[in-house]
Amino acid sequence: MSSDTNFRLRAQAKEEQQAAELQQNVQQQTGREFNSVEEALRCDAAQIEVPPAVAERLKDSLEDEPRRGHTWWRRLFSRGE
Amino acid sequence: MAESLESPPAPPAGRTAWPDTDFGAIYEEHSRAIYYLALRFLSDPTRAEDATHDVFLKAYRKFDQFRGEANLRTWLYRITINHCQNLLQSWHQRTMVTNVDDAVWASTPSSADSPLRVLEIKELGQRIQATLDAMSDEYRLLLLLVADEKLSYEEVAELTGQTADAVRGKLHRARKAFATIFKKHE
Repeated sequence: MSSDTNFRLRAQAKEEQQAAELQQNVQQQTGREFNSVEEALRCDAAQIEVPPAVAERLKDSLEDEPRRGHTWWRRLFSRGE
Repeated sequence: MAESLESPPAPPAGRTAWPDTDFGAIYEEHSRAIYYLALRFLSDPTRAEDATHDVFLKAYRKFDQFRGEANLRTWLYRITINHCQNLLQSWHQRTMVTNVDDAVWASTPSSADSPLRVLEIKELGQRIQATLDAMSDEYRLLLLLVADEKLSYEEVAELTGQTADAVRGKLHRARKAFATIFKKHE
């Protein structure tokens, strides 16, 4: 690859980075608009992660449960067969 | 609301927190929705964690009672709502909290049709929580359920013990109340 090509690729990458930063600045300055309550709630929900500790606690709790032989979810997933 | 009961839902790619079991797949599929409902309904992350754990444990224990007439998400929501309402009821009794009168917000003049704005996305959660906290349990629950695109109005009506028409009527007022309060927190 020639030095000219390298130069052009670097310049292009820099331009893309600047454009992304500009876009981010614009978003930070203008904030975000939601056209409905549901849209705002969905955006909020999408940002929420379930703390991993919940799954860990649940696994521990299920280990103390009597074995069910996996029957209930077999019944669930065989519905419609 | 297209939730297939005929094949096990595959866990989302990239998740490794749960062993590769069917119950794990159910947890991965629904835990975010359950946690979000509990979080915004109870307004307390720690209690929401406890509630999510308890809901899935109850679901595991009571699965024999699941009749398949509702989809799994709806059934889990029903357990969550009962659980959270019991918690709120005992908490309200201890703290003598009186219910918010939604009519106050519904009658407050506001530009409910204009967009809801936040300056930064990171403030959205705080604004939404503050807004929901100022609303009645009924309106708060309705809005949270309707925001889940996997639920139909009929399912929301069933979960809240009323007709779909009643849900539509109340939703109109709940949205207006939400918009009014949300804008007050700007």
